[in-house]
Amino acid sequence: MITLSQRREVGEFRKRYRWMALFVVLVFGGIIVRVAQVQLFQRDRWSGIAQQNITKTQELPAARGVIRDIAGRVVASNRPSYDVYTTPRLLQPEDLDRIAGLMDLNEEDQAALHARIDQLPMSRRSQQLELFGDIDREQLAALETHLAELPALDIVTVPLRDYPYATLGAHLIGYLNEVNAEDIARAADPGAYRSGDRIGRSGLEKRYEALLKGSRGFRRQVVDAKGKTLEGTRPDSLEVEMLKKPIPGHDIQLTIDMQLMEAFDQAFRPYPSGAAVVVDIHTGAVRALYSKPAYDPNVMSSGLSTRDYAALTADPFRPLIDKTMYETYFPGSTFKPFTALAALEDAVVDPAQRVECLGSLKIGRQKFRCNKRHDWVDLYEALVESCNVYFWALAEEVGLERINRYARAFGFADSTGIGVNSEAKGFLATREWYEEHYGRFRTGYTLNTAIGQGNTRVTVLQLALAYAAIANGGSLYVPQVVQNVRAPDGSLSETFQPRIKREVGVAPQHLELMRRALIDVVQDESGTAYRARNKDGVSVAGKTGTAQVVSRKGRSEESSSAWYLDRSHGWFAGFAPAKDPQVAFAVLVEHGGSGGASAAPIATSVMQQYLSEPEAKEAQQ
Amino acid sequence: MAIGRTIRDDFDWPLFIAVSTIALFGVLNLYSATEGGTTSDAYVQQLYWLILGFAVAALTVAVDYRHFERYGWLIYGACILALVLVFVLGRSVRGSTRWIALGGFSFQPSELMKIGLIIALAKYLHHDTKTGGRTLVDLVIPGLILALPMGLVLLQPDLGTAMVLAFIFASIMMLTQLKMRSVVTLLATFVVAAPVTWFYLLKDYQKERITAFWDRLGGTQTDLLDSGWHTHQSLVAIGSGGLTGKGFTQGTQTRFRFLPDQHTDFPFPVWAEEHGFIGAVLLISLYLFLVLWSLRIASQAKDRFGAVVAVGVGAMIFWQTVVNLGMVSGLLPVVGMTLPLFSYGGSSLLSTMLGLGLLMNVSMRRFTH
Repeated sequence: MITLSQRREVGEFRKRYRWMALFVVLVFGGIIVRVAQVQLFQRDRWSGIAQQNITKTQELPAARGVIRDIAGRVVASNRPSYDVYTTPRLLQPEDLDRIAGLMDLNEEDQAALHARIDQLPMSRRSQQLELFGDIDREQLAALETHLAELPALDIVTVPLRDYPYATLGAHLIGYLNEVNAEDIARAADPGAYRSGDRIGRSGLEKRYEALLKGSRGFRRQVVDAKGKTLEGTRPDSLEVEMLKKPIPGHDIQLTIDMQLMEAFDQAFRPYPSGAAVVVDIHTGAVRALYSKPAYDPNVMSSGLSTRDYAALTADPFRPLIDKTMYETYFPGSTFKPFTALAALEDAVVDPAQRVECLGSLKIGRQKFRCNKRHDWVDLYEALVESCNVYFWALAEEVGLERINRYARAFGFADSTGIGVNSEAKGFLATREWYEEHYGRFRTGYTLNTAIGQGNTRVTVLQLALAYAAIANGGSLYVPQVVQNVRAPDGSLSETFQPRIKREVGVAPQHLELMRRALIDVVQDESGTAYRARNKDGVSVAGKTGTAQVVSRKGRSEESSSAWYLDRSHGWFAGFAPAKDPQVAFAVLVEHGGSGGASAAPIATSVMQQYLSEPEAKEAQQ
Repeated sequence: MAIGRTIRDDFDWPLFIAVSTIALFGVLNLYSATEGGTTSDAYVQQLYWLILGFAVAALTVAVDYRHFERYGWLIYGACILALVLVFVLGRSVRGSTRWIALGGFSFQPSELMKIGLIIALAKYLHHDTKTGGRTLVDLVIPGLILALPMGLVLLQPDLGTAMVLAFIFASIMMLTQLKMRSVVTLLATFVVAAPVTWFYLLKDYQKERITAFWDRLGGTQTDLLDSGWHTHQSLVAIGSGGLTGKGFTQGTQTRFRFLPDQHTDFPFPVWAEEHGFIGAVLLISLYLFLVLWSLRIASQAKDRFGAVVAVGVGAMIFWQTVVNLGMVSGLLPVVGMTLPLFSYGGSSLLSTMLGLGLLMNVSMRRFTH
């Protein structure tokens, strides 16, 4: 009986076992499903994190290509900058104070450091983060001594861009600054740039970014959870590349001669602003592209403060503007040879015919002034002495259309095709343009055009190339600033052959006449640049010019230098040596007044230095 | 005594083999988890504990379980006493006092309490005359039997073990036929009790773990550095194991110390990382078998005491396994729960072996009348 009652007692439980078993199976089934989800369907994701966990990637930056001038002088290179990186995940709580102490940070910087780390989202804590850039030697020494105790830190030596000539040639060479989101998105290779990288922002640095840049490499190390490096350990499940060597960028050699640039810098000392261009007349190779004032690319590349930037933009002499090709000017009398050539070519005038200059000319109600009374002058003398009255008479015969046609042939009002930075095209006003803008066309417009005023605008670079065409017998070259590009191993990867843009289509004897006149501008006692001649040195030929400045309304009351900014610009364009021309030049002294007194002495003295330097001559060949 | 039956015939081989296999896997896993580290001899210690555990189990089997029934209250009382002694003699680890030092060893009375509770409840139900239609009044005394040790454990505080005690209690009471009305009342009480527990009973770190868990389920990982970090690294270990695993002693999460408490609370990720989905399913299946087998033993038990003990031991293993696996696979918040037989730790192993000894005892004596 006992047995029976006991059985019945256990019987109360009987109905439950099946339900319990079902429950148990369902719960374990659920766990298996979850494990399957994690191990089978999310495997790649978790494996990726597992690999990331045990590797620390150190970037190996690529050295940017070096830029040198024609003689091999370094214009842009790299110097080591010691940057401190951290992997925030590995930072121990007390590490930050330790680092701040070693870096000798002030309280404000210390707080900023803490804030930066604290605000970091989890997703970025495994990635390296730059804590400090370009630390000084004392900080470097302090950190390096304790680096073993701070496994979260890495000191990376990064090549920083260095421009030894500072402001000299800054517009041409350009500068770097940090990439923005757009740069990263626009790059052909999606991994090419990362936040914090620097990219060529202007000048050659921008134009040749792809060649100069090189490509970064990396070194991966196996680390444990504390960030300790485990040498010689490599788990089988680790499927990533451990080392990729960086590939340095290509080196670039310029056609520019920095010694010539320095000579201009010296010669320009008395003036706050101006520009000069020198080109090889036989190749179009640019020897100097000088624009004053300029900014320091070293400062630009390491990050300009807002205040410094404001100072640069507010400077009345516009240091950010490249005055050799981005700014346009009235050419003034330097334009006269092109008016003269138009007349000669179309046989409109006899060059021997004389015109009487009484010091001014009255057309209608307007009176046009000449620089002095020249009496009877022919074409030759009119060029040498820069007689406006002669050219006004000439202009009436020649007409605006012909002047414009020949000016275009010499490359005015068109891009030169230099290919670096933006260049202004300049401007030649046509009859239609005058009718449209001034209501009707007047003869006076033609007269102004003939002497390089009116609405004619040119760049210094265009003028130098046009004079090169006069000097070389009529070939207008495409200016070139890069001689060659070399691969990291030193082999030539690209050389640049001279490119003729067009033959100007002017008879040789007419060009010869121009050259003779330009020589006498300097050599003849009556020439406008006679006082700037090199008495026993390199003979220089050229044409002076004095270009009026468009009156600056509204600005004049702001600054005490307003009177200066209303002064005319002085020009001198020509070639040297006079008898056997090698280079052509154009020199502009902003607000320098008369070209014969300001620009011509600069040109002749620089040519004297440049062409008598045996080293420079060698380099040219 | 059975006629013509020997110990050999009655011996529950499936139970023995399942238990031995899990324990052996545990030792291997422990070897892998600690190899090359500062605790690289932990697996040897665990082997000693395991031998001791089998010895304890053997002793337990040798005595007819009805003796445990007879001394049920005494056993329960001794366990309670040990729990009280924790507050007198115990040492504090990470903010809670759970351990008593005994000679060279230290042990956790709360582990032993699980067995004490099972025996006490079994004895109570064994002598209960009711066979159905139970109401809440019938739960009062069993409830008190639970409340006393649970309260003491919560004071340590050890939320995980308290939870296991409650789960064992609930599972055992599910055996009895409670009226539907009573079940509803119980659920209602729980709904009321939950917020009270949250605001008044839970410590900040316990709350943090639970919020971290909910954040993870909701997809907003707020702070991986703290509570969520453990589960995250655990999932990385399990997930990166894939189908076949990285191989014995080849788990990178393990070797490079990304797993927290990898030999106590997180041994499963180590196993899953090195042996993959295949290894994981094998291990989970062994636990599933063990629990189902204990239900089978319960169903064949000759009396209530045996049935309750079998269900209690089964429930103890079931809930600890489920909570541990749920926690390491990100399904449940991190509460600090060992994986029975598999985790490193003497007290946990001994009390589990004690329970399994009782289970074997019930199993072997099901035929004797």
